[in-house]
Amino acid sequence: MTDVKPTKTLDVCGKICPYPDMNTMTTLKKMEKGEILEVLLDYPLSVERIPRNLKKQGHKLISTEQLDGPNHRMLIEAHGLK
Amino acid sequence: MEAVMTGLFVGVLFGFVLQRGRFCMNSAFRDAILLQDNILLKTVFAALLVEMVGFAIMDSVGAIAINPKPFWWGANLLGSFVFGIGMVLAGGCASGITYRFGEGMVGAITAVLGLATAGYFTAAGFLKPFKANLQEVTTIPGADGTALTLHGLLGMDYTVLAIIIVLIALLVWFLISRAKKEECEADPGWGWLNTGILIGIVGILAFPLSAAAGRNYPLGITAGWINVVQVIFTGATFNWIGLLIVGIVIGALIAALISKEFKFRFPKPLVLLQTFIGGLLMGFGAVTSGGCNIGHLLSGIPQLSLGSILAGISIVLGAWATSYVMFVLPQKKGE
Repeated sequence: MTDVKPTKTLDVCGKICPYPDMNTMTTLKKMEKGEILEVLLDYPLSVERIPRNLKKQGHKLISTEQLDGPNHRMLIEAHGLK
Repeated sequence: MEAVMTGLFVGVLFGFVLQRGRFCMNSAFRDAILLQDNILLKTVFAALLVEMVGFAIMDSVGAIAINPKPFWWGANLLGSFVFGIGMVLAGGCASGITYRFGEGMVGAITAVLGLATAGYFTAAGFLKPFKANLQEVTTIPGADGTALTLHGLLGMDYTVLAIIIVLIALLVWFLISRAKKEECEADPGWGWLNTGILIGIVGILAFPLSAAAGRNYPLGITAGWINVVQVIFTGATFNWIGLLIVGIVIGALIAALISKEFKFRFPKPLVLLQTFIGGLLMGFGAVTSGGCNIGHLLSGIPQLSLGSILAGISIVLGAWATSYVMFVLPQKKGE
C-alpha cells in the first residue's frame, strides 16, 4: 500500500477509549472527497471498531496494516461531506 | 487446594476472555448513542441470557442458591448514576479498566487506583456512614425480609420466570433480526456472540466456586479491588474475589502477550487525572449502590434482583448523560 500517498496523518497512539475513533471521524469530516487520511493507532478495540463505523459515514477503508504488536497504520479515503 | 484459589483460576479465564473479546460495558452503552454501534451491547445481552439459563438450572438442582442483592432505591439510583458518569471519564467500566490494566494501558491503571481508593473509603472509611445511611433509609425489602426480586414480586418460582424471560428475549431477538435482515458483517476477533457466550459461561462457573469459598455470589470487580488494597495496606489475606482480580489482570496480560497487543500506553497527564477522577466516582458509586457493572448488571440482573435492575438502568443513564455532554455536544457545536 506504499503507492497511496496520504493527504494527512493522524497519530492517536496512547489515547484512551473512544478518542481514537472520535478523532478519526472528526478529522475525516473536515477532509475533501478523495483525500487520504493515514491513522496511526495502538488501541486494539479501535482497530476493529473504526472500520465497522467508517462505512456508515460513507468513508472507505483502503488498508489496515499491522506495524509491530498493537501498532497499526490505517489508510482511509474520505467521503467528503463538506 | 484452598477453596479461595479457584478465584485465581476463574479470574485468569475471565481476563483472557475480556481481553480477546474486547468486552467493555462502557463502550457497549456509550457506542450505542455515540457511534450507533451495537456490537458490544449485543454481547452484553448474550452474556446475560446465558447466565440466566445457567443460574436457573443450577438453582433448581441445588448446585447454587441464588443470592440477589437488596433493593435500596436511593443508593441504587445515586450510586449507579455516579458510577455511570465515572466510567465514561475513566474510559472503561470496572471490568474494562481491570483487563486494560493487564494490557498495559496506563490510563486504566490510574482509573483502577481511583476505583480502589474511593471504593475502600466508601466501604470501610470516612464515606461509610453516608453509604450505610442512604442504603438503610431507602431499603424496600421483599416478602419476609428477603431481597426484592422480580420473581418474588410476581410470586413466581425463580427458575420458571428466568426461563420464561430467556425464551421471550430469544423470540424478540429472532423477530428483530429477521425484520432488520441484518447483513452479517465480518465481525473481527472472536465475534460478539462467542464472546457473550464465553463471558456467560465464566459467570456460571464463578457462582458455585465462589460459594464454596464462603462467598455466595458470582462475578464482581469492585469488592475485589478493595480486598487487594486491604492485602497491601492492612495485612489482610486474599479472599476469593481479591484473587479473581489478580487473575483477571494475569489473564488479560497473557492474552495481550500472546496476541502481541501488550504495550505501555501513556496518555497525556491531564487524561491520567481524568481517568483517576473517573475511577474515584466509580469506586464511590459502586460501593454505595452495592455493586459495579459486573456485580449488578452481569451478576445481579440474571438473579432478577430489582436493586440490580434499577442499578443497571441508572448506570446506563449516567453513562449516556456524560457521553452526551463529553462527546455528542462538542461534535454538534463543530458542525
